[in-house]
Amino acid sequence: MKFFDYLKDKLYAIVLFFCFYFILLLLYFAFKLPFDLIFVASILFVSFFGLLFFIDFFRKKSFYQKLLLQIDQLDQSYLVLELLEQPHFYEGELLYQALYDINKSMIENVKSFELQMNDFKEYVEMWIHEVKIPISSFLLIAHNHKDEIPIRAIESVRKIEDYVEQVLYYVRSENAHKDYFINEVSLQKVISNVALKNKDDFLEHQIDFIVDVQKESVMTDSKWLYFILNQVVHNSIKYKDDSKSSYIKITVLEENETIVLEVLDNGIGIPSSDLKKVFEKSFTGYNGRMKARSTGMGLFIVKNLCEKLGHTISIDSKQGSYTKVSIVFFQNCYYDVLK
Amino acid sequence: MKKILIVEDDEMIASELFSLLKNSDYEPLVLKNFKESYQEIMELNPDLILLDIHIPYVNGELLLQKIRKNSNIPVIMVTSQNSEADELLSMMYGADDYITKPYNPNILLLRIANIFKRMGENEEMVYHDVMIDKEHGILKRGKTEVFLTKNEMIMFSYLVNHQKKIVTRDELMTALWNSDFYINDNALTVNMSRLRAKLKEIGYENVIETRKGYGYILE
Repeated sequence: MKFFDYLKDKLYAIVLFFCFYFILLLLYFAFKLPFDLIFVASILFVSFFGLLFFIDFFRKKSFYQKLLLQIDQLDQSYLVLELLEQPHFYEGELLYQALYDINKSMIENVKSFELQMNDFKEYVEMWIHEVKIPISSFLLIAHNHKDEIPIRAIESVRKIEDYVEQVLYYVRSENAHKDYFINEVSLQKVISNVALKNKDDFLEHQIDFIVDVQKESVMTDSKWLYFILNQVVHNSIKYKDDSKSSYIKITVLEENETIVLEVLDNGIGIPSSDLKKVFEKSFTGYNGRMKARSTGMGLFIVKNLCEKLGHTISIDSKQGSYTKVSIVFFQNCYYDVLK
Repeated sequence: MKKILIVEDDEMIASELFSLLKNSDYEPLVLKNFKESYQEIMELNPDLILLDIHIPYVNGELLLQKIRKNSNIPVIMVTSQNSEADELLSMMYGADDYITKPYNPNILLLRIANIFKRMGENEEMVYHDVMIDKEHGILKRGKTEVFLTKNEMIMFSYLVNHQKKIVTRDELMTALWNSDFYINDNALTVNMSRLRAKLKEIGYENVIETRKGYGYILE
């Protein structure tokens, strides 16, 4: 709040005052009052009037200055009222009350939206668990009646299962709630589960699956990591290069304070212009358009989940040669101490 | 025959699990009375329980806790609830394994077999007069010995466990991949012929027959 701007705002009052004082001066002269008296009266008038502005200015200044500063500094500026004392001038009180009401209605709105979101999320999760039951029974039936149900049908149902799983993790990753549980997880076990899950695809497409694990355990949520790794491996299968014999290699290395999990394939690779955008929502890129249908959601969800778990994920590729996805786990020193 | 109790409220899954287990030489039982599930379980006295978390009247985890108070029957939790917290909770309550729906039936069978194997740890595996030393990878017949690689041992013990039945290539593959040997089709064929050659060394020629389009069978 600047004094000059404040005066500009009060220009009408100043103009009015000078008009009034000019008339007064004319009256003084008309009644031929002594010059000394006029002089003293003028000084008194001007200084009291000035004082009026100063007092008004400083009362408001302390309130508005604080308001603006807090809004600027606060992470969530809508919380500003919590930090502000109620002002003691009329305009300020009005503003304070208005802000309070606005805030309240906004919070109510957000709350009802949040409840709606939670309901929706709960419903989706419940639905996913329900839809898994007929999928399970289909797979069991298919297993018990191998001769009657073609493999293609099983493959289709497996795809449904994957898409269903993707929805589940999308809901989990988009939600503020913590659905994960970080503990010590065996990488070998997670990799083994991913391998078993995709065994048929590997064998059918003659993809060699090579695993080299040097460091066994990391701090993470095994279910989330399983989903992440499964998505990455899926992509490797999807974008394999048919002109050469394919492989997917998973290595786990310990580097300084971190553990790095790398998934390397010799697939068709990603054009360098697309490389930066692969983690963006709904990004399909050149490969997604040319090779296979793609929703552009897989890696977006993967990135989100990694961020929540505190892992970093990066991708490196050369078109026509290889793609390498690296996930970096930071070792938790705090946990080591606790152990 | 080992008795396996299926605690599952979806009838379709329960009946398919029933045939799956029956075909694999187990004696499956299906829990009928969910209202008094605990009493029924105790009366049936199974060798292993496949327990769903979502069952009527009582939560599977609570039921597991109750069972654990009096009994050490191995329990595999089978559920569509796919979260780390659920798994940890089940393990804490004393489940022996946790498998999420939808599962690969071969893997479920492997997990069941693993639990029984763990229980009868000292039970020695034999094939006719051949002693099978899994730990050291040795087949011993009288004074002749052959060494098997880990792959070959996994394949051979799977065949022995399913003696006189057709074992598909997929089952063998699942058993191998489940033990972290990610081999391809060619390697399986190569391993199979090596295994045959080694069996021949100890005097069992042509005991593993190939059934075209189905798999293998061990006499």
